[in-house]
Amino acid sequence: MRSASTAAPLLESHDLSFRFGARPILHALNLRVEAGSIYGFLGPNGAGKSTTMRLLLGLLRPTSGSVRLFGHELARHRVALLGRVGALIESPSLYDHLTGRENVEATRRLRGVPAHRTAEVLALVGLSADAHRPAREYSLGMRQRLGLALALLPNPDLLLLDEPTNGLDPTGIIEMRALLRSLCHEHGKTILVSSHLISEIEKTVTHVGVIQRGRLVFQGSLPDLQRLQTGRAQLVLETENADTCRNLLPGLLAGAKVAGPGILQLPWLSREHAAELAAGLVSAGQPIYGLRQEQPTLEDTFLHLTARMNE
Amino acid sequence: MEYTLPVAPGPLTQLGRTLVADALKLRRTAALWLALGGGALPVLLNLLIFYFKGHLLVKPGQNPWPQYVGMSWQTASVLLLPMFVVLLSGLVVNLENRGGWRHLLAQPVGRGAVFGSKLLLLLVLNAVAQTLYVLLLLGAGVLLGWLKPDLGFQSHSISLLPVLRMLGHTYVATLGILGVQYGLALAFRGFVGPLAVGIAGIVSALTLLRWEHIDLVPYAAPTRILRLLEGDTQLSVTATLSPAEWYSLGWFALAVLVGYLLLLLRRPVTD
Repeated sequence: MRSASTAAPLLESHDLSFRFGARPILHALNLRVEAGSIYGFLGPNGAGKSTTMRLLLGLLRPTSGSVRLFGHELARHRVALLGRVGALIESPSLYDHLTGRENVEATRRLRGVPAHRTAEVLALVGLSADAHRPAREYSLGMRQRLGLALALLPNPDLLLLDEPTNGLDPTGIIEMRALLRSLCHEHGKTILVSSHLISEIEKTVTHVGVIQRGRLVFQGSLPDLQRLQTGRAQLVLETENADTCRNLLPGLLAGAKVAGPGILQLPWLSREHAAELAAGLVSAGQPIYGLRQEQPTLEDTFLHLTARMNE
Repeated sequence: MEYTLPVAPGPLTQLGRTLVADALKLRRTAALWLALGGGALPVLLNLLIFYFKGHLLVKPGQNPWPQYVGMSWQTASVLLLPMFVVLLSGLVVNLENRGGWRHLLAQPVGRGAVFGSKLLLLLVLNAVAQTLYVLLLLGAGVLLGWLKPDLGFQSHSISLLPVLRMLGHTYVATLGILGVQYGLALAFRGFVGPLAVGIAGIVSALTLLRWEHIDLVPYAAPTRILRLLEGDTQLSVTATLSPAEWYSLGWFALAVLVGYLLLLLRRPVTD
């Protein structure tokens, strides 16, 4: 079983730290990406995602700590390990004077990949028809897809994708999600994908790591992240006059906030509490237009996680 | 679960693959056109000079080849050739300066292969350009023989050996500039920086030509070896390397070493 927790992770970092001159960027990151997972690496812009990606590829040298890919030290076996890794770092680095096909060919020859892969990856990302055009004529979305083709070229076991949905239109984003899922589930790839928007990847990922100001503030499976939210459910009451209700039932509506005209929001305590509140409102002669439990979205949780560090 | 360590390709395989990829990247680039067409300018200029004013330059019955080769070589070596090497090295390295380094260094090839491949490419392009120049030069001479039979190009031998020796000397003399400019291009990671230093170097070299230690300046080497072209009636060129060429080789070795260290210990790849 690929996702067995006893298996060595395909990618892990130990106390990975990095500083630019005197400015610390990353603080003791301990990433753990299991084989066969799609790991969403989340964080606001400037949190250190791209720097981490560069460290994971050996483009930067860590100030301290280490990276292990496939159980081996990256610093010692960089060339050997990178043979099994495909990467797309930020905006893809394309040679604008070359056609799409020539761009793929240049990387294919560099990696010693069989010739038939060029047409395969171009078809996989839907660029076969435009492969003869110079890359300078490509739209942002096409550039992104060509970058993905370069990453997929060696049929890698591990894919590192930095903001791969950048510049894609909604259809492109949906296609990218489907592609990532198919790469993982049907082709057994392990994928680390970074984003600053959880909504873009929550339908795709199996695991999540949240980075804020160079620190990992959450790491776990998607259900783990969802469990974090359970304590943060809200009870939403729609009535005629929010203030009147608050004055009439100060005990039951302690901690309630006015969220809109006639709308009160308070922390969800229990079903009994909700029933008691309904009964109290009816006996006080207040109308109940609506009474419901609201779960925070993953986005709220993500914002909550990243905001906590800001305070 | 244990993962077996993948096998890394050998250093020569890495170098070969990088070189093939680098050669592909040259398609439709200014660097390639410069290397293929750069030699045409001095040849064309001298063709025009000899076509229109040849009767003033060549005495009747005299072998025109030594003067023709000498004049053309002078046009080429003093300014155009150093400028060509400066531009070529800048353009070849500049192909990677728009995010290419990031992509290249994340591939399973060592930095030695990345460094060596571009250096080899530069050496080959430089050799191709200078060889093409010589072929054009000789071809234009033959053409002059047909167009202006009075000048006598067709009735005297070209004497190929001295020309080939001169080609060898000139190539060695450009290696110092090539090495230094390659190292600068790697250090600057831009096109303008090394170009500015290169122009400053060429201008300084031309200004300091009468300095007793001018052989130390790599940018002066192609000019300094012009004195090896001898003979009014029959061209002759010695095979022995001149001091300027030895210094050029020294600069090349030093610059290659420093350039490699620069790429190895390179500033963080952040572009």
